[in-house]
Amino acid sequence: MTVAGFRPGLFADGIRFVADNPGLLAEKTGEHLVLSGAAIGVALVLAIPAGVVLGHLHRGSFLAVNVGNVGRALPSLALIAIGVAFLGIGFANVLVALVVLAVPPMLTNAYVAVDEADAEAVEAARGMGMSPLQVLLRVELPLAAPLLFAGIRTASVYVVATATIAAIAGGGGLGDVIVNQASYRLAGVIGAALCVSALALAVDGLFAALQRAVTPAGLRAPVPPLEPEVGHARIAL
Amino acid sequence: MNPQGIEFRDATKRYAGRAEAALDGLTLEVRPGEVCVLVGPSGAGKTTALKLVNRLVELDAGDVLVGGRSVREADVTALRRGIGYVIQQAGLFPHLDVAANVATVPRLLGWPRARTRARVAELLDLVGLDPATYGRLYPAQLSGGQRQRVGLARALAADPGVLLMDEPFGALDPITRTRLQEEFLALQREVRKTVVFVTHDVDEAVMLADRIGVLREGGVLAQYATPDELLAAPADGFVARFLGADRGLKRLALRRLGDVELEPASLLADGDPRLPAATSLRDAVSAMLADGRDRCGVAENGALRGSLSLDRVVEVLGRDGAR
Amino acid sequence: MNGPVIPEFGRGSDCVRDRELFCADWVADNWRGVLLPRLVEHVELTLVAVAVGFVIAFAAALAAHRVPRLETPFALIAAFLYTIPSLALFQLLVPITGLTVATVQIALVGYTLLILFRNVLTGLRSAPADALEAARGMGLTRRQTLLRVELPLALPALLAGVRIAVVTTVSLATVAAFVLPRGLGQPIFDALREFFTTKLIAAGLLAVLLAVAADALLVLLGRALTPWTRARRAA
Repeated sequence: MTVAGFRPGLFADGIRFVADNPGLLAEKTGEHLVLSGAAIGVALVLAIPAGVVLGHLHRGSFLAVNVGNVGRALPSLALIAIGVAFLGIGFANVLVALVVLAVPPMLTNAYVAVDEADAEAVEAARGMGMSPLQVLLRVELPLAAPLLFAGIRTASVYVVATATIAAIAGGGGLGDVIVNQASYRLAGVIGAALCVSALALAVDGLFAALQRAVTPAGLRAPVPPLEPEVGHARIAL
Repeated sequence: MNPQGIEFRDATKRYAGRAEAALDGLTLEVRPGEVCVLVGPSGAGKTTALKLVNRLVELDAGDVLVGGRSVREADVTALRRGIGYVIQQAGLFPHLDVAANVATVPRLLGWPRARTRARVAELLDLVGLDPATYGRLYPAQLSGGQRQRVGLARALAADPGVLLMDEPFGALDPITRTRLQEEFLALQREVRKTVVFVTHDVDEAVMLADRIGVLREGGVLAQYATPDELLAAPADGFVARFLGADRGLKRLALRRLGDVELEPASLLADGDPRLPAATSLRDAVSAMLADGRDRCGVAENGALRGSLSLDRVVEVLGRDGAR
Repeated sequence: MNGPVIPEFGRGSDCVRDRELFCADWVADNWRGVLLPRLVEHVELTLVAVAVGFVIAFAAALAAHRVPRLETPFALIAAFLYTIPSLALFQLLVPITGLTVATVQIALVGYTLLILFRNVLTGLRSAPADALEAARGMGLTRRQTLLRVELPLALPALLAGVRIAVVTTVSLATVAAFVLPRGLGQPIFDALREFFTTKLIAAGLLAVLLAVAADALLVLLGRALTPWTRARRAA
């Protein structure tokens, strides 16, 4: 391709940018990680217990599933915009928007995972005299783990990716570089984009490892690498 | 279409990498309007033989003729549209309602709508499903037995000359299976199709077949005879074992009290069971044994026609060539 | 945007001058001139992107259905496109295709490919084996089996994919305004610069409503086209 400005070596330029600016990128990555981590953390606390409990009680399916559907449809930038309107520019506000975006997939998956845990196994457990809490902890949650973690991973990757545009709203992070082509050139944009992808992969890998660690040996199916789920996928922003 | 005859001439099928043939030189003839049931253990080639007829499996050697014409020469698509095919899981199209499912082949053949609609209604009636109630339902809304009936109706829709059935009742519970077997017999009496029916269940074969082909592993035909001949005189040890140690009793099921030469009713004692003439010999013997008697009375139209003793049963069967 | 940046404060009512959170009168004044055109542009961007993406993905999925070996390369290409942060991809394409609508469309199409390809392929493969065997035995040709059995049965997964692709594209199209002032992203970016909350909320809400409405519409379409998925045994 010979159009002005674009050369195949641009990818290498991006990598060189990363190598040449470790301090900048480390700082930005750190900001990005803090923002993403905070959003994921808050979302986890809000969504998982709620989803798991509702699933265990087999209640609120309409709510859980539709929150997921509507949540998936929310345009992220629009949400950040509205968040900024109400809360102003800055970290906290972007955080709120990211949490709102992360909760639906986590909630829906947690609900469906526990609700649809092998009914026969659950019934057998209850028949054996396990208390509801024991049933939840020893039977439902292990069986629900794959789908539950899939929701967490989808939401986490999405948060890391969306945090990129948080830069526009004062959230900081690697987006600061990506939106600033004027200062950092295309090489910087690419370099920072590569960092975002790497970060997303790392977060996904972390949760995948956690999932493996938590799943009892007998239930272990191979945990797939980063793959946007058919049905819950969201794109990297 | 008038029922067509089927002829297997030394039909052979081998799969690569397997020592034994799937089907080895099968030669038999199914007369028009006859029900031929192929039985045998797994791996005996019964389904292979069936699928040679509509070319879902291709011949390696030998020939299969339908209505006198070799299947090798026929256009595959046309051949299949002229043959009804019923499989164990019914294979109904989930996205079409019952009526649309049944109408599949007529639509393919370009039948006018009115004719198709009439035919669908006729067939659903034939298989015992009210068209008005069942026509608009989807397969997911039907029970296993209902699905099989629809599968059968669909196979018969374009009035084929031949019907192929691959363990069609295998996935059903025993009660439904018995009911469908009986209904199939009644249906066959009415429509008289040439049927090749595959099953591993000897009792089903005995009940439904005009002639039974017993295949052994390696796809070799062990014996081809009517149910009675088969049960009376199995060709070898394999067939005898396959028919089961109770083949003598199975033979009894083939005959009814009314068909046999009876003894005088005066020989009956109090306490002897009285049974309708339509009762099979097997059920009669069972009734006698259950009550601890050795004679039963045969009733028809409210009157006693005669009686039958256990000894007489043995005599009757013996005369007819029991080994 | 050409010329000096003139904040679009409309006729400058009290509400706006006082910088209140949301001024309905501004929305009313600027609906025809600002918001509606952007909305229309946004719908256009989305429809074109999903349509083109669908055509490509559908063809690829059909090919992969026929020739299973093709699945991995197609999937890899689509997945690769998917992981590029959109802000970066938009900027990357500008040197190639210029500051034009084409640039944005190319990127948007690229993002729809993975979901649509995956879903169409999954859908095509979801036809029950016994139905396919019966179809073959009945004398349906390959083409007829595809058209009359596999494709209709692929509809649920296909429509689910289109649904996701549409809402994803609506979302991405807002970000596209970073390089090209089209669609609802443009008033959002403007309003972020000026910190004009009314415009922020108005444009943001419009985007949200558009996405949710499109999602709901597709759900209804799905239900209309696939009546058999809701049929369940009565007893």
